[in-house]
Amino acid sequence: MNCTELRSRLQAYASGTLRTEEEAAFEAHLGRCEACSTEVTLAEARLAQTGALPKAVAPVQDLWPGIQERIERPRIAGRIALPKWALAAAAVLLIAASSAVTAVWLRPSSRPASQGSTRLIGFEAEYTAASDELSTALATARSWLAPETIAIIERNLASIDQALAESHRALALDPGNVALEQLVVAAWRHKVDLLRRATAIGSAS
Amino acid sequence: MRADWLLAGLAWASPLDAQQKVSRAIGIAPDASIRISNSAGITRITGWDHDSIAVIGSLPAGASFYFGGKGQVAKLGVERRDETVAGPGALLEIRVPRGAKVYVKSVSAAIEASGLSGELECVSVGGGIRVDASLKLLVAESMEGNLDVRGANDVSRLKGGSGTITLTGARGDVLATSIGGPILFTSGSVTRAHLETVSGAIGYEGEVGPRGTLEAVTHSGDVTLRLPTDISAEFDLESFDGNIDAGFLAKSAGPSKPGKGKPVSFVTREGGSNIVVRSFKGSIRIQKP
Repeated sequence: MNCTELRSRLQAYASGTLRTEEEAAFEAHLGRCEACSTEVTLAEARLAQTGALPKAVAPVQDLWPGIQERIERPRIAGRIALPKWALAAAAVLLIAASSAVTAVWLRPSSRPASQGSTRLIGFEAEYTAASDELSTALATARSWLAPETIAIIERNLASIDQALAESHRALALDPGNVALEQLVVAAWRHKVDLLRRATAIGSAS
Repeated sequence: MRADWLLAGLAWASPLDAQQKVSRAIGIAPDASIRISNSAGITRITGWDHDSIAVIGSLPAGASFYFGGKGQVAKLGVERRDETVAGPGALLEIRVPRGAKVYVKSVSAAIEASGLSGELECVSVGGGIRVDASLKLLVAESMEGNLDVRGANDVSRLKGGSGTITLTGARGDVLATSIGGPILFTSGSVTRAHLETVSGAIGYEGEVGPRGTLEAVTHSGDVTLRLPTDISAEFDLESFDGNIDAGFLAKSAGPSKPGKGKPVSFVTREGGSNIVVRSFKGSIRIQKP
């Protein structure tokens, strides 16, 4: 075993996961190479330090009173004062949901074609998942949205859901109709986009 | 009588007293990125041929104005000191370098922009957005406000909700979507346009460039296309539960009889452009200009 090979196995040696014959070759090299011997000593020390770290770190002070004070602070109509923790939670959910939506949109073709219903089922499953995640994120931000904004969002969502229901009913009578499937996908796209925009309004504010 | 005049005078004077005036300016790069935020009131942005940003305006009581930047970046806007107090909005008149990249955010404030040639992104919840410019890129979103866009932008991305989207004199690449609001396109010629609503009507009056594409998709809105009588295009029209009237192109529509639930495909002249319309229960009509 030469120095390069030894250093590539250093982590495994320090954590005791080398095979017996590899370990023997490793230690034989250490016996004749002072530089590698020093590297191993340092690696073992680092591993010991990492292992001694606590599993969790408690905050230096109780943050809850401050958080609660910000939750209960009244807000003006139209302007939303989103607490930082909710902002962070919404951002995480938004990122997760956006990734799902992006995955749907970045497919080679967004139009269901020859595979018909099978492909539509796949699309709908992905849109449903994205929609659910965004709805959860929106629910988090909802209490900071102005009532007029909520009313706008709900009105638009109702309109989209009605379109989806009508398209589904028609598709049940005419399965595999590509034009209908395209309309279903379009309605889902509107729904996910509306939820994304609504969540973004909450987070941005 | 005198008392009436006195009261009227007081009523007029009070709001003015509560307002604060703003007048500020800074130098900035001609293609700088500028972020503007004003939640309520009016934000009016005008492009000019100076490497500077100038702002005049009035703020309601309890609001403060922030403004800073250097070189390629600047930000300005209105912030309320006490966010728990609702009140009247701010009026901001802003001059920016014509070629700047401008980002504007509002909640209920109307946004008006003109004379710009760089990039503009406007996002509002309920405020209307009016743009009169020739931009490289326009992005405008309002959940409830109207979007009124005039001018030939290279790329336009418009997202509405229940408000009306109006495009006048558009060119290039257009994507406009809304939920309940109609989309009305007049006096333009696109290379690529995708217009999509859930329940809003779609109206298109203009040309489609050679090898250009026009797509109109709606669930329950009617679609009316007013196209040049000498248009050379491939048509693909389908409404699941609505009527299709190919109008002056009915002859070209050939053996497939236009009517409810029947897809209609045909080519006029040598073809070249593509026109696709999909609707669930809206009617599709093609008319002369």
